[in-house]
Amino acid sequence: MKNFLKSKGFREVLRILLALLIGLTLGFIITLFVSDDPIAAYKAFLFGPVSRLNRIGDWLEESLTLILLGLAVCIVFSASQWYIGVEGQMVLGALVSGVVVLFVPLPPVWRITLAFIAAMAVAFVWAIIPAILKAYLNANELVTSLMLNTVALKLFEYLLKNFIMPEKARSLSSDMIPDELRLPSFIPNLPIFTEVRELWMKQTSVTAMVYVIIAAVIFAYFLLYKTSFGYELRTVGSNKKFARFGGINVNRTIVLSMTVSGIFAGLAGVHLSLAIYNRVMMGMSFGLGFEGINIAILAGNNPLAVPIAALLYGYLRAGADVMERTSDVSRELVVVIQALVLLLVTAERLLPTIQRRISDQREENNNNNKIKDTKRTLKGDPNES
Amino acid sequence: MKPLIDLKNIVKVYDNGVVANDGVNFSVNKGEIHALVGENGAGKSTLMKILYGMEKPTEGEIWVNSDQKHFNSSIDAIAATIGMVHQNFMLVPSFTVAENVVLGDEPLKNGLINKEEVLKITKDLSDQFGLFVQPDAIVDSINVGMRQRVEILKTLYRKAEILILDEPTAVLTPQETDDLFKAIRILVKQGKTVIFITHKLREVKEISDRVTVMRRGKMIGTVDTKDVTREQMANMMVGREVFLDINKPKIKRGEKRMSVKNLSYVSETGRAILRNVNFNLFSGEILGIAGVEGNGQTELIEVITGLKPAAGGTVLVGEKDVVNSTPREVRMRKVAHIPEDRLTNGVAVRSTIEENLIVDRYFQKPYKNGVFINYNVVKKESEALIKKFGILTPTGKLPVSSLSGGNMQKVIVAREFSSDPDVLIAAQPTRGIDVGATEFVREQLIQIRNEGTAILLVSADLGEVMSLSDRIVTLYEGEITGVFPDASKIDEKELGLYMLGIKKQSAGEMEKYL
Amino acid sequence: MSLDVVIRSVLSALFISSVIRISTPIILPALGGLIAISAGVPNMALEGLMVVGAFTGVVVSAFTGNVWLAILCGIAASVLIVWLMAFFHLHLNTDLFIAGLAINLLCSSGTVFLLYTLTGDKGNSASLASLSVPNIHIPIIKDIPFLGTVLSGHNVFTYLALILAILVYIFLYHTRFGTHLRAVGENPEAATSLGINVKRVRMIALLLSAVFASLGGMNLSMAYLQLFQRDMAAGRGWIGIAAVHLGGRTPLGTVLASVLFGFSDAIANQLGSLKIPTQLVQMIPYLTTVGALVVYGIQKKRAAQERMKKYQRENIDQLAEKAVESE
Repeated sequence: MKNFLKSKGFREVLRILLALLIGLTLGFIITLFVSDDPIAAYKAFLFGPVSRLNRIGDWLEESLTLILLGLAVCIVFSASQWYIGVEGQMVLGALVSGVVVLFVPLPPVWRITLAFIAAMAVAFVWAIIPAILKAYLNANELVTSLMLNTVALKLFEYLLKNFIMPEKARSLSSDMIPDELRLPSFIPNLPIFTEVRELWMKQTSVTAMVYVIIAAVIFAYFLLYKTSFGYELRTVGSNKKFARFGGINVNRTIVLSMTVSGIFAGLAGVHLSLAIYNRVMMGMSFGLGFEGINIAILAGNNPLAVPIAALLYGYLRAGADVMERTSDVSRELVVVIQALVLLLVTAERLLPTIQRRISDQREENNNNNKIKDTKRTLKGDPNES
Repeated sequence: MKPLIDLKNIVKVYDNGVVANDGVNFSVNKGEIHALVGENGAGKSTLMKILYGMEKPTEGEIWVNSDQKHFNSSIDAIAATIGMVHQNFMLVPSFTVAENVVLGDEPLKNGLINKEEVLKITKDLSDQFGLFVQPDAIVDSINVGMRQRVEILKTLYRKAEILILDEPTAVLTPQETDDLFKAIRILVKQGKTVIFITHKLREVKEISDRVTVMRRGKMIGTVDTKDVTREQMANMMVGREVFLDINKPKIKRGEKRMSVKNLSYVSETGRAILRNVNFNLFSGEILGIAGVEGNGQTELIEVITGLKPAAGGTVLVGEKDVVNSTPREVRMRKVAHIPEDRLTNGVAVRSTIEENLIVDRYFQKPYKNGVFINYNVVKKESEALIKKFGILTPTGKLPVSSLSGGNMQKVIVAREFSSDPDVLIAAQPTRGIDVGATEFVREQLIQIRNEGTAILLVSADLGEVMSLSDRIVTLYEGEITGVFPDASKIDEKELGLYMLGIKKQSAGEMEKYL
Repeated sequence: MSLDVVIRSVLSALFISSVIRISTPIILPALGGLIAISAGVPNMALEGLMVVGAFTGVVVSAFTGNVWLAILCGIAASVLIVWLMAFFHLHLNTDLFIAGLAINLLCSSGTVFLLYTLTGDKGNSASLASLSVPNIHIPIIKDIPFLGTVLSGHNVFTYLALILAILVYIFLYHTRFGTHLRAVGENPEAATSLGINVKRVRMIALLLSAVFASLGGMNLSMAYLQLFQRDMAAGRGWIGIAAVHLGGRTPLGTVLASVLFGFSDAIANQLGSLKIPTQLVQMIPYLTTVGALVVYGIQKKRAAQERMKKYQRENIDQLAEKAVESE
């Protein structure tokens, strides 16, 4: 137990909890200033999401997309690549999966399977260009992926408006996906669950993708921490020169880090079009890319921590929604809190400063003693040559 | 006449206990060219860093022009008219020559930089001191010789009267060296004083007025250059080495394991760093490379291990030529490598000890399990290695950053040795680690040599090279200058002459022993 | 509509004038980004800083009735926020990109939050009586046919942007501080060895970049439109960063690249009537940026390879000579 308390992991968790506490406190202080009934508002914020079933459903749905995005970013950040193209990959994944389900003439199960595969494949390929440019030309992957994000969004808009949207559409959206092609609810259609199922389905639309996502989390974890590929990724991320020295093919690893992350980003897109919105429409992905990055950072690039971080943020988001609907505080407050938490968590000097000062002091004392000893020997050194 | 620079009784002890300067007295007269020589670890760089304000002496006094000085940083030294040109140039690549010369103190006109004045200043300084540069050339595009002249002009712009040059010819071609010397003579004729650190004794004879020799942190002596020969200087530089108490049984060497033929390497700045290097490594034998750092040892190892491309030549391991292969291909031929720079190449400090131990083998049995790595095996093997090599850590799952330098080196040694290599390249294997770890590493080297590995040892510690090696070659300016088939029978002074390029064996002489 | 109609309208004075107008809120943050990148601290929060400037300017002008005070306050607000980011990066070792991301979030959400708190409206500030800057009609020039329409009648920020572009050039290449700034960005070690305080220079570079970003934001809320909308910058902060890279990190290049982005926006609509899809046209500058990076990368690599080959040839010759000599 003592080792655990001293361990780095524990310190990390402590740091995150501390940052959260500070963030939430600051949020409360802000609420005091702007609200007529701050206590009620903050109560709604903190407890709202679990007060009603449909709210729980909303919470889960939002978090699920974020989990997938967080996983995608984990993969690429583990290799220390500043690739932020997950938004573009997700958007194209959403497009492709929606199109397959709406238009490809195959029986439903095959259609949906193909949709999944196509989304992951497209997202994988979309990262190839910035990946190769970074690996072989050392082109700044932040800028190239940023550019291609916009290209992806524009491509999405173009294809939606010109090929997918029905003629007499009233909004920038495709037709809704018909019932028989929709993903089933996450509660299985078994006799024992009938009541629960009815209850849930009336209030929420959480789909069976939950299981896919759980599988994805486990898959990402194994990929990153149990396979040789994951080892290569993390070693390149830890010290590129060491990786090369040890024999790892660094260029190939860099390319794969970005493309493989596409698998998860593509799935996130599938979740958007086949689970949350049940169609392909403009604005599905707004801002989610950066949220995913936020979550991966909070989770310390560990796939197992991603669901926790995503559920946490999802919870805060849902709570903010409730707060807005029932009080006079707007929900953007939660993003402000998230931003502060992010800053505090990544300020490496914050917690360690105290720790380091203590250990630095100890080291200095040691050295002073060493120098005293050396000087003593010098003065009495008979070996002058 | 009082000396211009007078360093009195300088002592410098570093935090880790290393005594870099031990009661050094060093003085320089105005207008002279003063060479400061010594081999690796002699303390000459440290002494000059103290003079330039980059380090503070633990004890001792600095006197410049009969004033005692206390330097808190280089800015103070610059104010005292001392300038230094380091081995790594401090230039901004996209700026022009002239812009770099005046950087930090640009002349102004009406609040804006006076570009004409910048050019004029540069050109005037250049003409005055015979340091040819193209004032409006972009630094990124000019050659190393000109870059060095820019650095010198920088010091002159800041009114340096005393110039310290740290191994200035290390990066120059012979032609560029001649140009530099011409420039130094002009500088001195115009009243400047030049101190230059070097180990190239031919140059000391060619250009300096006086020379100071240091060895192991102590000042050995200062003499007029005309009164001393290169052999005498070499004798002063290479002292009575501390021979290690190592139990090295005499064994018969076995088959040839690696054959290096006509290996050449050209740096990114155009210098020929390795020239037609030839040698062989044999099973059960340690071949030591003796030489002052900076004569091509680093590059030789990088080329052999696949980290850098060769300009020509072959490196045969078994029957295969591994020159210009990838590091993995070289490792697959059972060539292991203890790198010179352990923090950069040898370990990944943020990864765990276990992860550091498997980088060369994670894709092979028994670690490999389909696409997975069997971390139970990793744990077991790592524990065994940690125990066998005495790595001080409660668990292999801690990051390497939690280890001391000595223990980090043990991790590297554990990994490289346990791969059961046919050939081991060991570069500075005991640099910067504590006494216990040092002893340990040396013992291990002897052990695997006894077990049949062919070892190439490169070390700046001459005593270590002479004690551990069975056979020694000397490397000077990228060429093998001598081979000594029986290391136990060499006199270090003799070795010093070959290390410093004063003596050289002919190709014919060396052939059968390489 | 036919091709020649489109061409005629594109070459019209009105169109060119609109390109200048549209490019202004890109040029401004781009210049800020240029300063930051030149100092080695790329500012990822330009987008958020623009929004903060836009918001603050609107609110202050509505409550004080003074447009110029509002502009000052807008600048001050952005500078304060970027100071927070710079503090976290330079002194607490937060990764610059992550700090930028966090500040972006802070700004975009913080402004909407305050908007709602002040006006009860989340979409825009129409309920506030905010002001806008005047348009400047340059005497004499405004009466010149064609040129008059192109050059005169723009709002204050546009002229400011063009003047600032020139000032940034002078600043970076003709002043001491600007030169030190560029040195810090390229070789901080060299700068330190010459007594330049790298942290201080970087802090100032970030503060300056915030000034530009806020001006860009205020151009949107106090000239282009006369109100604040949520997420008003609409990606222009990011486009500014792209423009810096597309323009090869030089002042002139940055301005030209910014205008290219503005131009593509303006022309997308025109081309739409020719049945050329707007989105594809809008993609062009982004693809061009990627292309430019590819070109720059290949150039660099090839130059290094050529140099290496040359050196090897020279040295092999030398070595061959030597081999002959020693025999």
